[in-house]
Amino acid sequence: MKLIFEKSAAGRDGYSLPQDLFDDINTEDCIPEYALIDGKKVLSEVSEVDVIRHFTKLSKLNYGVDDGLYPLGSCTMKYNPRVNEKLASLDNFAYAHPLAPEETVQGCLEIMYNLNKLLCEITGVDQYTMAPAAGAHGELTGVLIMRKYFAGRGEKRHKMLVPDSAHGTNPASTAMGGFKVVEVKSNGKGVVDVRELNELMDEDTAGLMLTNPNTVGLYDEGIKDIERIVHGKGGLLYYDGANLNASFGIIRPGDAGFDIVHLNLHKTFSTPHGGGGPGAGVIGVRKLLIPYLPTPIVTFDGEKYHLSQIGGKSIGMIRAFWGNFPVLVKAYAWILSMGPDELRNASEVSIINANYVLAKLKKYYRPAYDRYCGHECVLTGRDYKRYGIKILDIAKRLMDYGIHPPTIYFPHFEPYAEETMMVEPPESESKEVLDEFINAMIKISNEAEANPELLKDAPHNTPISRTDDVLAARRPILNYDDELRLKDELKWRTEDINF
Amino acid sequence: MRYIPNTEGQKKEMLKEIGVSSFEDLIKSVPQGVRFEGRLDIPEAISETELEEKIYKIARKNSAFFLTKPLIGAGAYRHHVPEAEKSLLQREEFWTCYTPYQPEFSQGTLQAMFEFQTYLARLTKMEVTIPSLYDGASATAEAALMSLRLKHKNKVIIAASVHPHYRETVRTYVAPHDTEIIELPYKNALVDIDRLKELISDEVASVIVQNPNFFGGVENLAEISGVVHSRNALLINTIAESMSLGILKAPGEMGVDIVAGEAQSFGMDLNYGGPYNGYLATKRQFLRQLPGRIAGETVDMDAKRVFVMTIRAREQDIRREKATSNICSNHGLNILASDIYLSLMGTEGLYKVSLLNTKAAHYLENLLVKCGKFERVFDYPFYNEFLLKCKGNVSTLRGKLLENNFIPPLEISKFYKEERFKDVLLFAVTELLSREYLDQVTEILSE
Repeated sequence: MKLIFEKSAAGRDGYSLPQDLFDDINTEDCIPEYALIDGKKVLSEVSEVDVIRHFTKLSKLNYGVDDGLYPLGSCTMKYNPRVNEKLASLDNFAYAHPLAPEETVQGCLEIMYNLNKLLCEITGVDQYTMAPAAGAHGELTGVLIMRKYFAGRGEKRHKMLVPDSAHGTNPASTAMGGFKVVEVKSNGKGVVDVRELNELMDEDTAGLMLTNPNTVGLYDEGIKDIERIVHGKGGLLYYDGANLNASFGIIRPGDAGFDIVHLNLHKTFSTPHGGGGPGAGVIGVRKLLIPYLPTPIVTFDGEKYHLSQIGGKSIGMIRAFWGNFPVLVKAYAWILSMGPDELRNASEVSIINANYVLAKLKKYYRPAYDRYCGHECVLTGRDYKRYGIKILDIAKRLMDYGIHPPTIYFPHFEPYAEETMMVEPPESESKEVLDEFINAMIKISNEAEANPELLKDAPHNTPISRTDDVLAARRPILNYDDELRLKDELKWRTEDINF
Repeated sequence: MRYIPNTEGQKKEMLKEIGVSSFEDLIKSVPQGVRFEGRLDIPEAISETELEEKIYKIARKNSAFFLTKPLIGAGAYRHHVPEAEKSLLQREEFWTCYTPYQPEFSQGTLQAMFEFQTYLARLTKMEVTIPSLYDGASATAEAALMSLRLKHKNKVIIAASVHPHYRETVRTYVAPHDTEIIELPYKNALVDIDRLKELISDEVASVIVQNPNFFGGVENLAEISGVVHSRNALLINTIAESMSLGILKAPGEMGVDIVAGEAQSFGMDLNYGGPYNGYLATKRQFLRQLPGRIAGETVDMDAKRVFVMTIRAREQDIRREKATSNICSNHGLNILASDIYLSLMGTEGLYKVSLLNTKAAHYLENLLVKCGKFERVFDYPFYNEFLLKCKGNVSTLRGKLLENNFIPPLEISKFYKEERFKDVLLFAVTELLSREYLDQVTEILSE
């Protein structure tokens, strides 16, 4: 499709601005010569109509949760309720300045305060910070809290245990937080090897970052031993909440001994993913660690809500201002709509959905472990290797059936190192939708044998065909004016773009 | 429950197909003793109408902000957000989708990223732009970390005229890396270049300067970059008010090595502080040290031009602890918002609005000084924010403004403890404040 720059026509405009009634003010008197532009910076020249059509067309090249099943493992792509979107964008919220006087933003503060209470009850901890903008941002916050906690105790712990099954963000956040990553292997059942953990955990180690159920959708049965081992050596337990969707009303991380709990309010609490974000990766802690949270937190004195500074032990600020507020409103509205019973039901249905998919597809796509899973299951495409089919081909072919592929770039550790797909069908997916997915997967398994070329060239029915990612990385053309692009060998192939 | 389609009957049927007799059989691996027994102690579910009423009532405890015009900025600016943009952002294909890992299903998201990368390149005149940071503060912190990796040195100089939240965020991010942060004082509200010459040394990885700075001051970046480069350090230019790029020279023309920006002004409401839109811009040679996602051009199997996420070998899902950053989810929808916003504004619109902000701010500053109730603390060039000392009682002024539906300016002593900043206010003016409004503000404050 044409870029907006290719639709530009000199003299056309799409803006609406109040008239400039400041003829008595001279630009040259305001901005010194050393900083003033010589000529206008060229952007684009299109009308409002052009913009509406351009982006409407672009939107049609995307696939969202509203278009159908989006079973990305560990991503919890559930339905995003409409009413929550409306409530989060009420004028009194949308136009609230973050530094407006406290008495004018009591509504915002009340929402943050109430949400904190609900999240504490749901997860069994004592206080949340609403500041982190995303899951990884929350992880970094959690790791920095650990660092500050041990520094305050005069302890020099420099290692962090991270299971081999962890998301890439865990080791990356650990490194950003100044710790050395020590990998803990999974055992034959796909969960943390408690014996190895026992050997690795020592007094130089800050703690363990654990996802439970883990990233392959399995509950860690050894959680009690894990807790005993980590706390026994004075360490802290960090809960990665990427998979909390399997836990509502079933297990509370705080009760299980976790000291720091991360949640993705996008995903788990139904707020949308927006093509990459924004989310909110809030962090909850037990009482002991409240003084280390990023500053400020919302408090209530019985009459008014306040943004209260945390004392000298706080890790400081991790961003400007207080949090991704509309995301908080949506999560709050979702919890209120669900109540205690439907929250538990959401976890039950997501676990049943995943096990149903596993049961129906395990004949065709052998799972690495034959056991019940949590809210997601990991299938493999090993049996199709002999036809020269990679898991990527199966994923791409699924798009031809109008279904978004499961996660295939992860996990990447043994025995999952290759040819796996992680399927997460959240509670908003019905049995009928899952049956369509299952049927498509079975058809693809037949195609793999009968007509492997069909898969290797897939997808065929999408707006574009399979992309050349290698070329993109080899010749990185990163904007329209990129010098590589201007003298590029690709140019001839792109000249015939006509829509 | 309307968000959970499976019925009790279907649940039973599925359990049977799985081959278990009850749900409990599926969660046997959750040991007794850590199981949550009982029912969560949260309010009972409410209906949609009850929910709406509840949240509307809470929202009413805020001021009626639509008609309450801010005289405050300080890193969050209320500009007009076109309805065409808001309406486009409501297309579900944009907001209910995931990160564009499958380009064949995500060209909308990817092309918008590529377009916004282009707009940023045109505004900053930098070779490589990456719109994938949470906000300006975390972008500045990531730029600081990037400079430590590039230079293998452990000192960072940061101007005291950088937004206080940004400075604190930088401190938080570099804290684990044994980095010494040196604060560079200001002189007459701008970077003190003589002090910079004294503080800069061969151990300094980078110097962070905001422009326009926290006081609204317009820095001489070319002069600053000369000093910074004389000792082989990198100049990081933080931009909290990106609208200024409409009339200010591009950082790329003034020797800046890394731009760490906040694009909230490009199409985002204030939203009580977030989500906003952080970005980085730099030289091509530093590409592989950038954090976050970047879109690139390539072709598909039919040789059509298409877009994908690229240079992925920097990212956490591939490099794990060796990644340039842990960043994964970003503010994708805000990237789209900015792309739409800049497309609507175009060459002429962005220039005009940027100019209008400057002129309106200078108009108000002149009036307030003339009315006799305020005095200048510094004489400095500014963009759309400025400092004035209030000769009268600040809390009376605050009350009067609120009564008349204006959010008062920032009391700068909240962040700067020097005695001279007592009763000093940081005003911000955008295109939302017409000449008529500014006359009214002056009238209120002259009483």
